[in-house]
Amino acid sequence: MIQLNRNYTLPEREDDIIPIKVIGIGGAGSNVLDRVVLDGMDQADLIAANTDVQSLASSVAAAKVQLGRSITHGLGTGGDPELGFTSACESGDEIRAALSDARLIFICAGLGGGTGSGAGPVIAQSAREMGALVIVFATMPFSFEGKRRAAQAQEALGRFHQLADAVVCFENDRMGDMVAPKAGIHQAFAVADMTISQSLRSIVNLIQRPGILRIGFDDLLAALRGGGGRCLFGYGESDSDNRAHEALAQALKNPLMDRGRMLGEASRVLVQVAGGPAMTLSEVEILMRELNKHISEHTQLLFGTAVDGRMGARLSVTLISSLACETDERPVQNFVPVESFAPPPADPIVPAPEPEIAVVQEAEPEIEPAAAAPVVEREQVLQVEPTPSIQSLVPGDQVTESEMVEAEPEPAPEKTPPRIIPPKKKPVVAQKAGPEQISPKSESVVGKPKQEKSVAAKQEVLQFEPLTRGRFEKSEPTIVEGQDLDVPTFLRKNVRVK
Amino acid sequence: MGNNDLMVGLEIGTSKICVVVGESRPDGTTKILGVGQAPSRGVRKGEIVDFETAMKCVHEAVVDAEQKSDVMIRSVYVGVAGAHIQSFNNRGCVVLPDDRDEIDEEDIEDVKISAREVSIPAQNAFLHSIIQHYHVDGQDGILNPIGMLGQKLEADFHIIHGVRTRIQNTIRCVKELPLEVEDVVFTALASAQVILTQQQKNLGALVIDMGGGTTDYILYVDGAVRQSGAVGVGGDHITNDISMGLRIPMARAEKLKIEEGSVILGNCLPGETVVLKDDSGFAGKEIERETLNTIIHLRVRETFELLKRTLDEESFINYVGEGIFITGGCSLLQGIDHLAEEIFEIPARVARAQTMSGLTSAFQNPQLSTAIGLIKYAQAVQADRPQRRGLTRIFSRFIPGMR
Ligand SMILES: Nc1nc2c(ncn2[C@@H]2O[C@H](COP(=O)(O)OP(=O)(O)OP(=O)(O)O)[C@@H](O)[C@H]2O)c(=O)[nH]1
Ligand SMILES: Nc1ncnc2c1ncn2[C@@H]1O[C@H](COP(=O)(O)OP(=O)(O)OP(=O)(O)O)[C@@H](O)[C@H]1O
Ligand SMILES: [Mg+2]
Ligand SMILES: [Mg+2]
Repeated sequence: MIQLNRNYTLPEREDDIIPIKVIGIGGAGSNVLDRVVLDGMDQADLIAANTDVQSLASSVAAAKVQLGRSITHGLGTGGDPELGFTSACESGDEIRAALSDARLIFICAGLGGGTGSGAGPVIAQSAREMGALVIVFATMPFSFEGKRRAAQAQEALGRFHQLADAVVCFENDRMGDMVAPKAGIHQAFAVADMTISQSLRSIVNLIQRPGILRIGFDDLLAALRGGGGRCLFGYGESDSDNRAHEALAQALKNPLMDRGRMLGEASRVLVQVAGGPAMTLSEVEILMRELNKHISEHTQLLFGTAVDGRMGARLSVTLISSLACETDERPVQNFVPVESFAPPPADPIVPAPEPEIAVVQEAEPEIEPAAAAPVVEREQVLQVEPTPSIQSLVPGDQVTESEMVEAEPEPAPEKTPPRIIPPKKKPVVAQKAGPEQISPKSESVVGKPKQEKSVAAKQEVLQFEPLTRGRFEKSEPTIVEGQDLDVPTFLRKNVRVK
Repeated sequence: MGNNDLMVGLEIGTSKICVVVGESRPDGTTKILGVGQAPSRGVRKGEIVDFETAMKCVHEAVVDAEQKSDVMIRSVYVGVAGAHIQSFNNRGCVVLPDDRDEIDEEDIEDVKISAREVSIPAQNAFLHSIIQHYHVDGQDGILNPIGMLGQKLEADFHIIHGVRTRIQNTIRCVKELPLEVEDVVFTALASAQVILTQQQKNLGALVIDMGGGTTDYILYVDGAVRQSGAVGVGGDHITNDISMGLRIPMARAEKLKIEEGSVILGNCLPGETVVLKDDSGFAGKEIERETLNTIIHLRVRETFELLKRTLDEESFINYVGEGIFITGGCSLLQGIDHLAEEIFEIPARVARAQTMSGLTSAFQNPQLSTAIGLIKYAQAVQADRPQRRGLTRIFSRFIPGMR
C-alpha cells in the first residue's frame, strides 16, 4: 500500500499556474463572474464582456470589455443576438487583447438574451483561434421566458457546440428545482450562478492544484463533452471523521446529480478528490469504492487527487460528467487554431503531470520557484502530446493498486477515449522531460513564469480591492462624502479580515 | 364602504413587505386586527427596482393580511423610503388683510403654502409639511393660532420631500394591485408615531430605523420634528460585507449575522470560532467570531458616525433629552444600543411598537415599527380630517405646479 508522506507540503510555485481566463458575457455571464469572485478565485483571470456599460461598471471582474461601443452605445442589445454578434465583431481586437496568453478559456453566458447568445460564439471563436482550449458554461432560459428566447438560446448553443472544446449546459428550469417553488426567479438565478461558480472553480482547481495525479485536459474534455446532453455535477466537502464517505454522499446529493441516479448512464465521470496533507490513500479508496456502486461497469472513471494545504482537515469531492453522447466529436476542423499552437489535432495544452508526482519524493518543499530548470522542464512537458497524467480506472480497480501512467507521448487521443490502464504495482512518475527535449519554444517558455507571477499578484489585489457591488448591483450607488458605501466598510477602512 | 374606521398600513421594505390592519374604536383607541407579511424581492435600499416582482410580493402580503384580519383591504397608507428623501426647515408668512385680524383655517393653509414657496429640485415632490410652531405678530411658540388676533402669521415647518418618480413608483405599485393609496408617509415619521410618546417628543428624541436597505431617522425637539432623512445603508450592507469578508454566500452571511453577530468588539475569547453548518452541500467553514463582529462593527459604526455628522450640522441633537430609539430589523443586532451611546454620547435603547390593543407580543418586533406606525399616523390624520379626501390629496401633491 502506498503511503502518502504526511509531511508533504506543496511548494506554492507560481510557475505551476496554467494561464486560465474566465470571460463572462452579457448580464448573466457577468453575474456568474461576481459569484466566482465572491466564492474566491485566485487561479484565473476574470474578464467581463458586455454591451451594457451599466452592468459592466458594476462587475467585479478585473478586466472589462465593452462590446459594440458604436452599435449599442452602451446599452444592452434588448435581446437581439444579431446586435450581440455585430457588437462582438466590432470589438474583436479588444476581445483578443483581453484573452491573450491564456491556455484555457472559460466562457460563461446566459443564453437567450442578445449579448450572451450573439457575442458569445464570436468570442468562443476568437478564443479558439488564439489557440486556447475553450470550455463554455451556458444556461438555457427558463421555459417561462418564452419561445423566442428559447430559440435564440438553442441556436447559440448549437454554435457553441461547433466552436468550443466542451460545452457545459445548465438548464434554468432544472435550477429552478433546486430552490423552493415559492422562491423567485432571482433566487433561481442565484442558484445557477452558484452552481456554475462551483463547477468552474472545481475545474480550475482540478487543473491548478498541484495534484498527486493530475488530470489532463483531454480527460477533462472527455468528461465534459456530452453533445448537448445534461451536465452532471456534484460537490461535497467534509471534515468529519468519516469525511470521505460524507463528502461523496453530499456530492451525490446535488440536484444536478439527480441523487446519483444519472451517474449510471454516464460513460465518463471525472472525479477529483482534494484534501490537506493528511489525506490518505485509504480514504480515497473508500471513496472510490463507494462511488463504484453508483456507476455502471462501463463507466470510465477519470480520477485525480490533489493535496492542498489550504484544505486543512477538509476533504472534498468533485464529480463532473455529462450524459453520454458518443457521437459528440471535437469541434469542426475549420476552427482549429492556427499554426501557433501544438500540433493539431491534439488538444493544445496538456497540463504537466507533477513531474515528481511520486509524492514521497517531493516531500521537501525545498524546490524554489527560482530554480530555472524545473520550470523549463514543466513547460517542456506542456508541449508534449497529451500525457495521460490521469488515472483511468475501471470500476473495481483499487486505488492502492493504481498508479501513474508511464509516459510514452502518445498520438493525439482525439477520438480515442482515455485508455484504461491496467493496475501496476508501484506508482511511476509520469514523465520527466530531459533537457534534450527543450524545444525551440523554450526561450519564451522560460520567460513565462515571471508573467504568471504578475498575474498572481493582480489576483491578490483583486481580493482586497473593493470592486464589487454584489447585492447592490441594481440599485443606485450610495455615495456619501465621496465614498461608495456599497463597498464593504472593512475594505474601505483597510481593515484586514481573513 | 363602511370601512372608514379601518386603517391599513403598508411598508414595502427592502427585506419584507408588511401590512397591518387596524380598526379605530369609538373610544379613540386602535385595535390591530391582523398583520400580513411576505419576504420582499425587487426592492433595494428601500426603493422598488423590479416592479413586477415587488408587486407580486406586495400582493402576497396583502392577501396574508386579509386572511389574518378577515377583512377586505381596499386602501392603504403606504410608507416611502430611500436615500432620495430629504428635509429642511422653513418659515412661512402671511399677512392678514386690513379688514380682518382674526386668524382662521384659511390662513393656516396659506402659511403652509408660503412655507413651501422655496425651491426644491425640479424633479422632487413634497411629501410632508409638518408644522413645528406658529408665531403671531412675533410671539413665539404658539401651537394653535386659530381664533387668535393678529396681523402677521408665521409658521415654521419641517418639510420632507423626495424624488417624484420614485414616490410615484411606490404609489403605482400599490395602485396596480389594485388598491387605493390613502397617503404616502416617510417611513421614519411613521415609525416615530408608534415608538415615541408625546412626552418623549416634547423632551426630545432621535428615532433611527435601521432596516434592510436604508437607515431612516427623525429627530424631535420640543414636540416637533426638527430633522429627518435617510441613508441608503442598512442590514443588507452588513450582510454583504460579511459575505465578502468571509467569502460565504449571502444567505449564509445573513444567517450568521442574525444568529451570531454582534457589534461589540473584544468580547470574544481569543480564537473563538463559529462553525457554519453544512446544509446546502457547500463548504462547511469555521469563522472567527471576532472577525465577524469586526465586520459588523465597522459598518454600523460608520453608519452611526455618518448620521452623527449629518445631525451635527444643526445643533438639535443637543436638545435631545430622551435619547436615541433604535428600531428596524438591525436594532436586533447585539450591542447596537451600546455602540450608539458611545458614538452619539447620549442614552440609546432598542425600541419597538408600544402595546396597542390586539397587538400580541409576536408583533412586538422592531421590524414592524413602520407598518404599525402607519396605522397610528392614519389615526391621527383621520381624526384631523374627518372627510376623506383620499385620491385628490395624492394627486394634488404630484401635479407639478400645484402645492
Ligand atoms: N445564471 C444566471 N442567469 C441569468 C441571470 N440573469 C439572466 N439570466 C439568464 O440569461 C439569459 C440572458 O440574459 P442576459 O445575460 O441578461 O442577457 P444578455 O446576454 O446580457 O443580452 P442583452 O441584455 O439582451 O443584451 C436570460 O434569458 C436568463 O435565462 C443571472 O443573474 N444569472
Ligand atoms: N435578529 C437580528 N439581528 C440582526 N439583524 C437582523 C435581525 N433580524 C433582522 N435583521 C436584519 O434587519 C433587516 C431587516 O429589517 P427591516 O425588516 O426593518 O427592514 P425593511 O423594512 O424590510 O427594509 P427598509 O426599511 O430598509 O426598506 C435585515 O437586514 C435583517 O438582516
Ligand atoms: Mg444584458
Ligand atoms: Mg423598514
